[in-house]
Amino acid sequence: MNEKRAEAAPGRTRRAPRPVWDGFVRLFHWGLMVSIVVAAVTGFLLGPSFIPVHVVAASLAVALVLARIVWGFAGGGYARFAGFVVGPVRLMRYARDVLARREERHVGHNPLGGAMMLALMAAVLAAGLTGWAFLGAGAKLGPFAFVLAFAASPVLAELHEAVAFAILALVALHVAGVVFTSRREGENLVRAMVTGEKGVGPQDIVPPQREPRTGAALGVGLALALVLGAAIAAPVFLPVPGAPVAEIDPTVRAECTDCHMFYHPSLLPAGDWRRIMATLDDHYGEDASLDADTAAEITAWLTAHAAESADTRASKVFRLDPAGGVTRITETPFWKARHAGIGDAAFRSAEVGSRANCAACHADAESGWFNPFFAEIEG
Amino acid sequence: MHENLRRLTLIGALAVLAGWPAAAGDTSARQLIAQFAAEAGTQPSAARGKALFMGTHTGGKPETPSCTTCHTRNLKAAGQTRAGKAIEPMAPSVNPARYTDSAKVAKWFRRNCKSVLGRECTAAEKADILAWLSSL
Repeated sequence: MNEKRAEAAPGRTRRAPRPVWDGFVRLFHWGLMVSIVVAAVTGFLLGPSFIPVHVVAASLAVALVLARIVWGFAGGGYARFAGFVVGPVRLMRYARDVLARREERHVGHNPLGGAMMLALMAAVLAAGLTGWAFLGAGAKLGPFAFVLAFAASPVLAELHEAVAFAILALVALHVAGVVFTSRREGENLVRAMVTGEKGVGPQDIVPPQREPRTGAALGVGLALALVLGAAIAAPVFLPVPGAPVAEIDPTVRAECTDCHMFYHPSLLPAGDWRRIMATLDDHYGEDASLDADTAAEITAWLTAHAAESADTRASKVFRLDPAGGVTRITETPFWKARHAGIGDAAFRSAEVGSRANCAACHADAESGWFNPFFAEIEG
Repeated sequence: MHENLRRLTLIGALAVLAGWPAAAGDTSARQLIAQFAAEAGTQPSAARGKALFMGTHTGGKPETPSCTTCHTRNLKAAGQTRAGKAIEPMAPSVNPARYTDSAKVAKWFRRNCKSVLGRECTAAEKADILAWLSSL
């Protein structure tokens, strides 16, 4: 910043560069920026195959915010909430002072900047909460898998999207605020968030110096990480309501995998299975006939564990409709929409063979889960 | 009657008398050929079997005009079902488990003859096809 600007700025005297933003605060800031950008691009612009990237980036944003909250109670003077969080009365007074161009200069977060930071962090937490709730209801992933039914997922998706738009709006406001304050105070706040240093003049408001309690912060952070990690991993170890049947009848598996991968019974409702089992002599263009006893045994098992018995996404989206020309899962609207970006050549490649070979890309297809984290699309 | 055929008939008759256990590894290509030939009352012919297996047919399902649609013409290599799943090689020289399970042989003759020919194979045709495949 040139001298002239610094003279015109509040504070008016020469400022001595001082360390203001500690290493964690800077790491938090830029890490949060990158993870929000990745989450926004994958969430708003890219397709379902980017869900894993979105979830990882967005969860990283949540983790950073949680760590910043811990640091807000344990960090040094500039990092502590107590040093910059003010109530509504002081916030309004500061806003009025800004409008009247008579505000005091805060070396740390000014009251409006602090409020913006809290709002952004709250919005990221809300996005994380609604996002994981959606994953819990829709994909049976994370802690909400135990409490939310698939039926809740459309509402949660809407809610999550609304929060995401709120984050975009807050980010825009934040950037505008930074540009405004940088010009007003004659100090490049973006560079300050990189170097950690800000000029401090004699008139400037500086929060009370506090010794950072790094050990305590690390301890609390680690405990929080363990609890959240365990909550996210819980469905891997504990039975989830509405899970597709895990134990596959050996006769069913043997007979139904002679020609194709194992299609989990939860992919289709019982009525569809009954129709398929009744027409095995013309099974998608081939004779797949079985003796009557074996066919009856297989039909009973398939219908008992059909889509009606599960609460997964894959159990809700596939319904055959022979009268309407839908005789295969790959002819259902959901399947077509989800695979619209994949070319014919990929399905016919040697590794895949046909559209019917879900397991070529969905590593967990035969379990009926179709976890987005296990879908691998190449090329 | 040829000496050969008489012997095959005898083996076939003995096998039928013994009853067909359903367990895997309950039979061999030799036994099966003997049984089918005895049932048909004909001499098995590998040449006829090859012609039937490699030929293109009408009358079956349009998706599968020939055995080679899925098994391919190289029977020492794996074939592929229309749904993309690998089919183990048909030649016993590379896949010794072939033709050792009577229930499997019966199941696949029934299904695949219907898919390719539109009807079940006759005992004579089964003996011919097995005579050829088991020689590979």
